[in-house]
Amino acid sequence: MKLNRIIETRKVSLGFALVFAMVLSFSPAASAQSKQTPEAPKVSTLDTSHDLSGVWFDDHPRLIKVQERYWAYTFTLEAPPMTPWAQAKFNAAKASFGPHAVPLVETTDPLYHTCAPIGFPIIYLYPLPMQIVQTPGEVIMLFEWDSLRRQIFTDGRAHDTTLGPLWMGDSIGHWEGDTLVTDTVNFNDKTWLDRMGHPHSDALHVVERIRRIDHDHLVDDITIEDPKAYTKPWTAHLPFVLKPKWTLAEQFCEDEQSFQTIDQDAAAPAK
Amino acid sequence: MRSRALGIVLALAIALTCSTAAFAQTKTSSSAPATPTPFDPHDLSGVWFDERPRPLTTNERYWIYKFNAEEPPMTAWGLAQYDATKSSFGTRAYPLAETNDPLYHTCTPPGLPRIYLHPFPMQVVQTSGEVIVLFEYDSIRHPIYTDGRAHDTTLGPLWMGDSIGHWEGDTLVADTVNFNDKTWLDRIGHPHSNALHLVERFRRKDHEHLDLDITIDDAKAYTKPWTTQIEFMLKPKWTLAEQFCEDEESFQKMDKDAAAPAK
Repeated sequence: MKLNRIIETRKVSLGFALVFAMVLSFSPAASAQSKQTPEAPKVSTLDTSHDLSGVWFDDHPRLIKVQERYWAYTFTLEAPPMTPWAQAKFNAAKASFGPHAVPLVETTDPLYHTCAPIGFPIIYLYPLPMQIVQTPGEVIMLFEWDSLRRQIFTDGRAHDTTLGPLWMGDSIGHWEGDTLVTDTVNFNDKTWLDRMGHPHSDALHVVERIRRIDHDHLVDDITIEDPKAYTKPWTAHLPFVLKPKWTLAEQFCEDEQSFQTIDQDAAAPAK
Repeated sequence: MRSRALGIVLALAIALTCSTAAFAQTKTSSSAPATPTPFDPHDLSGVWFDERPRPLTTNERYWIYKFNAEEPPMTAWGLAQYDATKSSFGTRAYPLAETNDPLYHTCTPPGLPRIYLHPFPMQVVQTSGEVIVLFEYDSIRHPIYTDGRAHDTTLGPLWMGDSIGHWEGDTLVADTVNFNDKTWLDRIGHPHSNALHLVERFRRKDHEHLDLDITIDDAKAYTKPWTTQIEFMLKPKWTLAEQFCEDEESFQKMDKDAAAPAK
C-alpha cells in the first residue's frame, strides 16, 4: 500500500539524517586533527535543532473521563492566580468541561452555537494535531482544528500595532540557542483562555519557549501574563510528540452539530 | 499598508534591476539587458496575489465572480442549478439580503476552486512531501501531497477536496477529487457536483509570476472539461493577515470593502 511506502520513506530519510549527522560529527574532528592539534571535541555542524517542522500531537494521556485530566480543558493542575475581575468572569462561565461541567446545551462557551475562531492559546487544548512548517522568516503552526493558522515571524520585525485586535494574536519570535522564544500580543477578548472558562482580556501577553528536546519530542513552556485577569504571570508546560506518519485532516467548524460530534468523539463531557 | 508596501517593492525592484545591470557591465562588456532574478522553478513558496483590477462595479470584470468570460458548458442539471442561484455578483446580482450564496449567513468554507476568486493573497509553503497553499481568506488551506501517495478514498467528502501532486518538468500538477457538493464553483453560482475533478497546473514562469491553469471536469454539471487561467504576482513584502469569517456582518463588511455588489 501507498501508506507503507510513505512510512518506509520517512524511516529511510530519518536513517539517512542520522547517518549524515554521524558523518558530519566525525569528519570535522578528523580534519581538525590534520590541521591543528586536537582541542575540545567539535560540535556537529549539522544544525537540526532549529527545525521544528512536522506533525505534532499533545503528549498527555487522554482518557474518556476528563475530570481528572486537567490538560483536556485547562493548562495547569492548580488554579491560575485570578484577579477579582477574572474570578467573576470564571464564576459566570458555564463550560462543558472540567469539574463544573454543564451539559452542552447549557454551556456559554463562545465556541458553541457559532463558528467563531477558537483563539490562542486555547487552541493547544483541543485534541487534534498541529503541523509546523518553516520558511526563512516564519514558523507557521497549522492546526487541524478548523484549519486555524498561526504565523510566528522570525525575520526580526517588531509587533505590528496597527493590527487587530486579533483572535490568534500577533506573534514574533527569535531563537535563543535551541529554543524558539515567541512573544504574542494584540489579542481580542472574545475567547476563553481555556476550555474551562478561565478568562483573558485584550491585555493578554503570551511568551512561549518552544524547544525540540529530541527528534520525537517538542516542549512548549508557556507564560501567561494578563494583569487584568491574573495577579501575576504564570506558566504551563505543554509536551508534544512527533507523529511522522500523520497528516492534518480537513476539519471545519460548520455548525453546532459539528461541535457536538467532535466533542462526543474526543471526550465525553463530564457528568 | 499594502499600497505603501507595493511602493517599496517597486522602488526596490527598480533599484535591484539597475544595480544588476551595472554589476553585469563591470564583469562583462556585454550590454545585454538586465538578467531576470534567478529562481528555482520547483520553489513556489512566497505570497502571491491575483492582481487583476477589482473595481467597485463588478459586472464587466468577470474574474471577480467567475473563471472565464464565456459561460462554461453546463449540462441540463448544471443549468437548472445555476438558474436557481441568487448570487450577489455579476450581471444578474441580487442584493446581499436576498442572495442564496451558501457562504452568506453561515460561515461555511468557500471550497476549491472558488477560493481563488476571493480577493485575498495566498502563501505557498513547501515541505519535502507537501506543497501547501495557505489562503488569507478565512485561514483556509489547500494541502497538495507530493510524496507519491494515492487519493485517500476513505476521506470526505471534503470542502477543499483531496489533492495529490507531482512535478512534470517545471509544472506542479495537482489532482483533486473527493469534494462535497455544498459549495458553488464560483461566486456567481455555477454549480458543481461531488463528481468534481480538478487538475491544477502551477508553473512559476519567472521569479515574480506564477501561472495556474485549472481544468474543471464534472460530468454531472458540465458537458465537457473546461479550463481557466489565473496569473499570480509575487508579493515579497506581504504577509498573510488574520481574516476570519465571524458572522454575516463580517461578510457584508468584507464585500463592501472588496467590491460593492453590482446594481
